[in-house]
Amino acid sequence: MRPAQSAAAREAFTLPLIFLTVTLLGGFRSTVGEGMRFLPPPLIALILATLLIGLLVRAGALAPERLMRSDRSPLENGSGVFVLAGLFGASAQVFNLMTPEAGLLHFIVTTFLILLMWNTWAARPDRPRLLRSLAVLFGGTFVLKYVVLASLYDPQGGLTKRVLTTLLEGVTLGGLQYEPPAAMTGYIAFFTLALYLIGVTLLPQAMWGGRAAVNAPDDLAPRGTRSIRSVEGEAWDGRDG
Amino acid sequence: MGNARLIRLGGAVTTGLYAAFIVWVYVNQPRTMAQVAGGVASTVGAYRIDQASFAQGISAFRGDRFPEARAAFERADPAEHDPRTQFYIAYSYYRQGFGRVYNDDALFRQGLDVVNRALAVSSSHVVVDDPNLGMHSAAELKAELERGLATELDDLNPLRLLRARK
Repeated sequence: MRPAQSAAAREAFTLPLIFLTVTLLGGFRSTVGEGMRFLPPPLIALILATLLIGLLVRAGALAPERLMRSDRSPLENGSGVFVLAGLFGASAQVFNLMTPEAGLLHFIVTTFLILLMWNTWAARPDRPRLLRSLAVLFGGTFVLKYVVLASLYDPQGGLTKRVLTTLLEGVTLGGLQYEPPAAMTGYIAFFTLALYLIGVTLLPQAMWGGRAAVNAPDDLAPRGTRSIRSVEGEAWDGRDG
Repeated sequence: MGNARLIRLGGAVTTGLYAAFIVWVYVNQPRTMAQVAGGVASTVGAYRIDQASFAQGISAFRGDRFPEARAAFERADPAEHDPRTQFYIAYSYYRQGFGRVYNDDALFRQGLDVVNRALAVSSSHVVVDDPNLGMHSAAELKAELERGLATELDDLNPLRLLRARK
């Protein structure tokens, strides 16, 4: 497969299908005895998704101009729209997946995520650092929701609950409401988060002077060198030429 | 050039279909994989119920073995997408819950849920031409179930003891 076809396949198939799968599975919940259900993202998840996409652009992990611009054909721009729309839906659903559905725990985790996004925005990480930071964030919230909280609220009890209760010196969660998901939800959530990270890694990244956006945020790049037309070597332009 | 164009066209069609499927899932909220498969099959007009299980359900229904009838109907229509089967399930709740002195509200409520589902999955009126039934349309059955659940002065009428199960 030639580079142009490979780029077209990635833009038209791989990325949209990855992000749409994340969008589908991000809302998946399964509770014992009630079967499965699919939760649409709450409004706050849309705001967090917007912040995350802004971060991806700022860090050079996503170059929207390589997906949509005036000198691309309508079909090429259409592929770009699918990628960006899929990325937005997937990002919203990833936040939906990581936060408890309701109550005080939802508020606490959401506030934590907003502060973390804000902090990352201020830190101006480059692409590799942002991707590593996202992996840590997703891993941490996954463990918190699907291991720690699921164990604490497990009606059957279990070893993890006993260990956590002992470590917390008998502290109980009192009136904090949380509905623990079935084990299936955790497995699907893990797969979904991993798939999202793969998708984000595959996004067309910003190039400065023909090099990938490593340690070269906007204000450090030489003026006028941020041009996709100067990209050489493996650069993925996304054009069909 | 041409190949890349074809790839993009194929991608747009595939992505569009997949996105439509996702919207369908979030709107219809299937609870089991059977409902997902049945829903997709019925969308393309390929959904068929298991006729053997349906016949078993009808036989049990006519013998007043309602839980057994419902189990057979659920096997026949696992996706809950066949209006006629759903109508019979709702009817089984009605007949089982019917009482001359009082009705079983829990069973009537379940019946109402199922008849609403039958109406929702049907593109036209649900009419079942079965001479053993006192009500032949989902609308009649729904009205009867709602009447049974309502509390009204007529509930105290002693003539209610003489009414017949439909």
